[in-house]
Amino acid sequence: MSQLAQRRDLVLALVARDLKVRYRRSAIGFAWTMLQPLLTMLVLTVVFSSIFRFDVANYPVYVLSGLLFWNFFQQGTVAAMSSLRGNAQLLQRLPVPRWIFPLATVLAGLVNLVLALLPLLAIVVLTGHPVRPSLLFLPVAIVLLGAFTLGIALLVSPLAVFFADVVELIGVALMLLMYLTPVIYPMSILPESYRWLIRFNPMRSLLEVFRDPIYHGKLPPLPHLLVATALGVALLAIGVALFRRFSDRIPFHV
Amino acid sequence: MVAVDRRSETPGTGDPGRATAGACAELDDVSLRYRLARQRISSLKAYAIHWMKGALIYEELWALRNVDLRIESGESLGIIGRNGAGKTTLLRVLAGVLKPTSGRLVTRGAVTPLLELGTGFDFELTGRENVFLNALLLGRSRRAIKEAFERIVEFSELGRFIDSPIRNYSTGMVARLAFSIATAWTPEILLLDEVLSVGDVAFTRKCEARMREFRAARVTMVLVTHSRETLIENCSRSVWIDGGRIRADGAPAEVWSLYAEEVSGPAAAV
Repeated sequence: MSQLAQRRDLVLALVARDLKVRYRRSAIGFAWTMLQPLLTMLVLTVVFSSIFRFDVANYPVYVLSGLLFWNFFQQGTVAAMSSLRGNAQLLQRLPVPRWIFPLATVLAGLVNLVLALLPLLAIVVLTGHPVRPSLLFLPVAIVLLGAFTLGIALLVSPLAVFFADVVELIGVALMLLMYLTPVIYPMSILPESYRWLIRFNPMRSLLEVFRDPIYHGKLPPLPHLLVATALGVALLAIGVALFRRFSDRIPFHV
Repeated sequence: MVAVDRRSETPGTGDPGRATAGACAELDDVSLRYRLARQRISSLKAYAIHWMKGALIYEELWALRNVDLRIESGESLGIIGRNGAGKTTLLRVLAGVLKPTSGRLVTRGAVTPLLELGTGFDFELTGRENVFLNALLLGRSRRAIKEAFERIVEFSELGRFIDSPIRNYSTGMVARLAFSIATAWTPEILLLDEVLSVGDVAFTRKCEARMREFRAARVTMVLVTHSRETLIENCSRSVWIDGGRIRADGAPAEVWSLYAEEVSGPAAAV
């Protein structure tokens, strides 16, 4: 913690680098952060409302809130896996704390998430979706999701250094997990016999905690909130513990 | 070990809690092992199978073996030795980047490693942005960087190019910027790995001048070099590393002749 305070400026500089470099060469630059999920939402809305047809009130808001949630989690995990290898030269030559790299990638993802909330709010207003005070709960949801994702990032980033295949494996696992989470589809389309699968998927609690305040205009149900909190705290603790354990070996393997 | 064993001169001052002035570093019986997997096991499955069979075979490489080395405050130590002898590994241990497999490292004072010019540069960012990023990586505060910024740019001779992305720089320009950042503050312990010969003649002179300033300011320095001239010019003491062990330790000229004698026969020893 004290190390974190000491290195705050460095962490912020790395976050800024991440954000700047990603879009530096593109014409509209930073706007992609907001545009990309909007375009995905449009595609999915067209596909699901005219081709597959399921019955969700205001699907654009439903799917866009789901997508922002999932993009943050998925991109954070994937970016964290390459954060150590991507800074290999640095890790082997300067005595910088190694955890700042996964941390910076997750924080950069958080900035993107917050920015992407703006077009989401615009869609909420434009589609006449009720704007409720429950939106004020979002920061709590984002903190929980951030803690969870950081935990996963700290967990997988050293693994990706020691075993290259982990990167591919986790990529596939993330895709599978997405389909097991009602990100782009509503629970109601699932046959009763499959719903238990989703019910035991812990990602769903995190998702509902994030989406309920936006989409349903209410606070998330207590069980989801408890599960999400437990997940955030537990993953962060596990991630920190394992990262510390493997940290000294990282420069030997990157 | 040939020549003087300096450990006995000032015993026990490596304690970081002690408030004695002067930066120094001490390696106490340090060994470092690289484990290179003989078969390239990088899949979990292969790892699991090998692990269960108890057949995780590694090629073990001891890059450093039982190194005892005390670098006194204000000393300028030149490390020489053949390629693969462990010089760079030694610097990385001193930098705090690689943790020794056994033994202890004690440093007092902030270490500024300059192991490769341009480490941590991002080529998409401008020179200005890289000054901040790089100096933060070296442990400087944002405020200190702001204060030193003009000085850094001036020394680097980059002028208006400081606001261009450094992917447009020449190799020499990148090296100049890196050297300017790393040496903008008088370091406490400076580690250099063969980086003195960068840029054109004029810039090399400036670098040499800066090194002399540091020596005059009694900065503790460790530098790895293959050049006798650099060694004699910059160092007050030299250590010859061979196969991960210290072969000789003493005055630069003497240690260099011992080394040169072995490497190329007595005739080449100057």
